[in-house]
Amino acid sequence: MAYRSDESSLLIVVLDTNPVWWGQQLSKPNRDLTFTNCIEELLVFCNSHLMMDQRNKLCVIAAHPSKNKFLFPKSELADETASDDSEIMRQTKSDGQYELFAKVSETIREEVKDLIFSDTSGELHADCMLSGAMSMALCYINRVEKEQLNKESFSSRILVIKGSEDHQSQYMNFMMVIFTAQKQNTIIDACILDQESSLLQQACDITNGIYLKIPQLSGLLQYLLCVFLPDAKIRKKMTLPTNVKIDYRAACFCHRNLVDIGYVCSVCLSIYCSFTPICTTCHATFKIVDPRPIPKKKIKK
Amino acid sequence: MAAFVKSVNKKLACKDLLAYVKTLTPSVLEGLYNHPASCLAIFRELPDFAKHYVMRILFVEQVMVKQNVVATWIEKDYANEHLDAIKALTGLHIVHEHMQYCGLPAWKLNESFKKSLQIALMGGGNGANSLEMLPPDKYAKDIAFLDSYAQERWECILHYIVQSKEGSGGISREVTEILLHSGLVSKDGVNSDTFITAAGFQFLLLDISSQIWYFMIRYLETVESRGMNIVECLTFMFQLSFLTLGKDYSSDKMSDNQQRFLQHLREFGLVYQRKRKCQRFYPTRLAINLTSSTPKDIALETHKQGFIMVETNYRVYAYTASPLQVNLLSAFCIILYRFPNMVVASITRESVRAAFASGITADQIINFLKSHAHPEMLKKKPVIPPTITDQILLWELERNRFNFDDGVLYSQFVSQRDFELLRDYAKDLSVLVWENPPKRILVVTRSGHEEVKRFWKRHKRDT
Repeated sequence: MAYRSDESSLLIVVLDTNPVWWGQQLSKPNRDLTFTNCIEELLVFCNSHLMMDQRNKLCVIAAHPSKNKFLFPKSELADETASDDSEIMRQTKSDGQYELFAKVSETIREEVKDLIFSDTSGELHADCMLSGAMSMALCYINRVEKEQLNKESFSSRILVIKGSEDHQSQYMNFMMVIFTAQKQNTIIDACILDQESSLLQQACDITNGIYLKIPQLSGLLQYLLCVFLPDAKIRKKMTLPTNVKIDYRAACFCHRNLVDIGYVCSVCLSIYCSFTPICTTCHATFKIVDPRPIPKKKIKK
Repeated sequence: MAAFVKSVNKKLACKDLLAYVKTLTPSVLEGLYNHPASCLAIFRELPDFAKHYVMRILFVEQVMVKQNVVATWIEKDYANEHLDAIKALTGLHIVHEHMQYCGLPAWKLNESFKKSLQIALMGGGNGANSLEMLPPDKYAKDIAFLDSYAQERWECILHYIVQSKEGSGGISREVTEILLHSGLVSKDGVNSDTFITAAGFQFLLLDISSQIWYFMIRYLETVESRGMNIVECLTFMFQLSFLTLGKDYSSDKMSDNQQRFLQHLREFGLVYQRKRKCQRFYPTRLAINLTSSTPKDIALETHKQGFIMVETNYRVYAYTASPLQVNLLSAFCIILYRFPNMVVASITRESVRAAFASGITADQIINFLKSHAHPEMLKKKPVIPPTITDQILLWELERNRFNFDDGVLYSQFVSQRDFELLRDYAKDLSVLVWENPPKRILVVTRSGHEEVKRFWKRHKRDT
């Protein structure tokens, strides 16, 4: 009997396309990983995922500092030019690549070019809209689930490929995304290229995903294939990197600093680093509690 | 009762793709692995662990991977799956064993398989084997037309099997040969008509994707005898299964063998060609994903809506006028009334047992009812009333009341000691089937009878 899983799997790749970070990569001495190479390796990885099972599905989202964009499948606004699609297919090189893979590769390359050329704002940010991209991913999963005709079950996972650093302003949204993913039984994996990210560490731990900082960037494809390709059912059976010590400190709601000890509102459980008489989330009031004993005023007769 | 003993309980066995490919010779496999489409099709059918092992080694420049390294890739509890995966890979010659210099055994991925799989993933092949695109077709056909064409051609073949008057024309000699070879129909004399066999009935009750696959396997078995090259046919079949529905492709670059194969496929309804000389063809829904064994969404079934309603009083109402469907129903139901657009039938113990006698299983009957269930029935859970499904299964279990073993009876022993001696000897040889010590009777299997007889004669001579 062949051991084959009966479930199909939906993979969503959220790729960090922060131009500042990728630009810095080009100026590094050994040029381990350029953006072009990263896209090519990502394409091979995505096609491998589709190759594993005929029913597997794919979605790629680019997380840019100013916006997020669906790289594959093409978003519906672009379908106005759908008639060109058949022309593209007619000219597709007949070099033995499976047609679906060719379509995926072409679409993603076109959309990335489109994304880069349309970013004319000139502003530089050190981070990208990751929580927004992940919310889009979760919405897509929900939509696919509703659209399934024959009610076959499928497992879904989100792979985040991130190079730029975290920004604490995204903390709240990120935590909400993580808890939604946990509810939906979606696994969040993280493939970290440069700086460790505590948010993603927490995400992977809560949703049973894999967090991996790539030791050698030039071997990105091999790491992707070895570690992130197996889906949920197979992961239990294979030996994959386990999670390390995670920084679970929460960020305070007023300054977004990480705090170890702080004040918690008893109504809505929001966290503050210093005492506030009115909670900004739920507007509950608190009496000032002074730890020093109030000296009893002697009533002078 | 005699019917029980004689019944041929042969279930229609259908090999899946891996089992079929394992029967091919290594040279054929090497030829197949030169084509990206075949590698892709075979890769998809591998067990899960095997797929991951191949993916991990696919892009590694270093030639060999040590076996104990591969064994560390999985948790210890799943060693069985690991062995199963390795067996599949070595059985298909995808992976070869080598001894490394350090003395440790290692695995090496088959070179042509590796190259072809990389081409399938990323492109870069020389395009010699692929099908080209053409300028737009002025006689372009849409998907609905292709569906109706495929359905009509396939039903032609099914009608022929069932021998109904309507679709008996238009079947070529080759199709007849394949049907005879596969045992779905058989002939009495040399020139007489063909009639359907038990296997044929089972075949008809399968869902359409299994039918097509079974038929193609049988066809491939006869390919060599027709003088066609099996590597070319298989390659074309794999390529065909990965094409896109609704697009046309050129048949220019195909060899003669492949052109002949294409004409046969045209007859089965797997491709559509406007004329024989036409250089372009369209794959139909039956051909897409032909080689995959995952449950397919052959929407031909949903286009042709289900038409059977089953009630809890064992009545079956079939809203169909097609003689093929009525014939199929009559295999296991008694037809009570026929109307122009409806047939009323009844499932009874006799009708179902007659079906069992001709080799149909309860599962096949239930699957047939489920897959052709009317949309109104599909709204209920479960689709077929559980009373009916349980009763059909029970009727099938009724047939398993007796086990027949051939044997020889030994009786009329003079003394208890003789009986026990012989019984113990038979037990030692494990040929004893049954014994009754108070009556001093024992039964020995036919094959063990000779031994026991010799022993007894020797014993009688000695004492």
